Amino acid sequence: MIKINNLDFAYKNTQVFKHISLEFKKGNIYGLLGENGVGKTTLLKLICGLQKPQHGSVTVDGHIPSMRQPQFLQNVYFLPEEVITEDTTPEKFVQKIGVFYPRYDFALFNQLMKELEVDLAKKFNELSHGQKKKALLACALSLQTDYLFLDEPTNGLDIPSKALFRKVISQYCSDATTVIISTHQVKDVENLIDPIVILDKDDVLLNASFAEITDKIYFEYGPERLQNAYYTEMLPGGYINVMPNTEHLESNVNIEALFNAVMKNKETIKNLMK
Amino acid sequence: MNNTFNINRFGKVLKHDGLNFFPNMGLALAILWAIPVIFYLFVSLMPGHETHVFDAYSRIDTIDLILKITIIIAPARLYKYCNDQRQGISYAMLPASTFEKFLSMVIYCVIVTPIVYIAGALAIDSILALYNGPYEGFAVPIYFDKHAQLSYIVDEHNMAGVFDDSWTVFLNSLSPTFMSFLGMFGMLMLSSIFMFGNMIFKKHKTPKMIGILILLSIIFMILVINYVAHYETIFSNWNRETATDILERLIYITINVAFYLEIIVSALLLWGVYRKIKTQKY
Repeated sequence: MIKINNLDFAYKNTQVFKHISLEFKKGNIYGLLGENGVGKTTLLKLICGLQKPQHGSVTVDGHIPSMRQPQFLQNVYFLPEEVITEDTTPEKFVQKIGVFYPRYDFALFNQLMKELEVDLAKKFNELSHGQKKKALLACALSLQTDYLFLDEPTNGLDIPSKALFRKVISQYCSDATTVIISTHQVKDVENLIDPIVILDKDDVLLNASFAEITDKIYFEYGPERLQNAYYTEMLPGGYINVMPNTEHLESNVNIEALFNAVMKNKETIKNLMK
Repeated sequence: MNNTFNINRFGKVLKHDGLNFFPNMGLALAILWAIPVIFYLFVSLMPGHETHVFDAYSRIDTIDLILKITIIIAPARLYKYCNDQRQGISYAMLPASTFEKFLSMVIYCVIVTPIVYIAGALAIDSILALYNGPYEGFAVPIYFDKHAQLSYIVDEHNMAGVFDDSWTVFLNSLSPTFMSFLGMFGMLMLSSIFMFGNMIFKKHKTPKMIGILILLSIIFMILVINYVAHYETIFSNWNRETATDILERLIYITINVAFYLEIIVSALLLWGVYRKIKTQKY
């Protein structure tokens, strides 16, 4: 379990987090959403130990990430947004780092490379940006770490690759694996993530599962705008209205509409979901 | 699990860094091995000159000079990205302790790189010495014989009339073992300076560190010149015997101070490297 308690973090004069507290429970695929620059990557770096909190604490299964102890590091893998690769093949790369991870499975790597349709024989620098990302995703999943942090993993992927991405993440992440996917392209991770965390400047606006969200928020698809909706958006054939679920009706979460509703009614939805 | 040092895990770190050794350092080593060969062949084949022959001692001096260059460039070539905000992430996230990563870095920069360079340089030297070319004598037998090298320096200067007998006695009194250690710790200090530079600078790591060293040398030289100028009247009143005696003592003290300074500076800089690996933010 990842516990963030009363965390403060700033880059020189830019405050990123101010007294935020947050928990990530084991075995879920979290969607970490937020506008550009709110600190999604920074939060992942703090959880990985690549940054150190200025105040408060971050713990992962009791480990303090910033100490970068091997016992912690062998259970986490961070795939950054910008893929920087060595002058080698993905196969050699994963063999080089795989030995450090107790559950690393080379056969799984080969299988994932086939499923993601990446050429095994090519070096990283001979692969396209999207192919590199898929190769690194195969590496990351084959390490079978308890925690997998993906920063904007779908950036640069074409449409079929995005579908493949969703498929391998849902298929090959075990029930014990916690995945945190940071993205601002919510459509790419629809039907994959649950729960959702929405970050704002200095603050966490939402950290809830789909069940918790639909318990309190109702997504209504209809022909007209509703006055009491938190957010309304025109869709082909009508409107989607994000409303308080006062009558405990069932609905499906539309992540994009939810995100916009939260951004427009920060305090209201934050208090509603408490 | 021991989070500070585990021999199996350390072996994996060594293997990981070892796999990066030749891809990062191979071309540089090949060039550094080729430089003296090309230079000697070029000079020996220059038209209008007598045939040049290079003895083993002068070739050892060249090998030692290029060894220093190898040591200077090694950290930035082998661990260039370890403090890079983006490219250094994979190094920071490698499941090994800071101490294991640090130890591996020291082993590759301080031990492996010089050994690989010297082995290659001496092997090339030996092969070329077999032919009837500009290489005279084998460098291998005398490379590790500091006594022979010291005697050669003394003999050369005697022939040139630089030393009188007392100087010869003094230079011969210097322990070759001590001189070997002085040289080794000198190499360690050189390596640790550039390992530290590699950790504190993000770009142009080696040139920046060389710049700092040049600056420090200039400051040191200005201080020494001022000091010598200040005591010039005292020096001028000494007779030759007193001056030789004092200078011999001064050299002896300087060598000893240098020895301990090399150890202290190396230890401090290596501690700095360790701290930077441990606390580097990405």
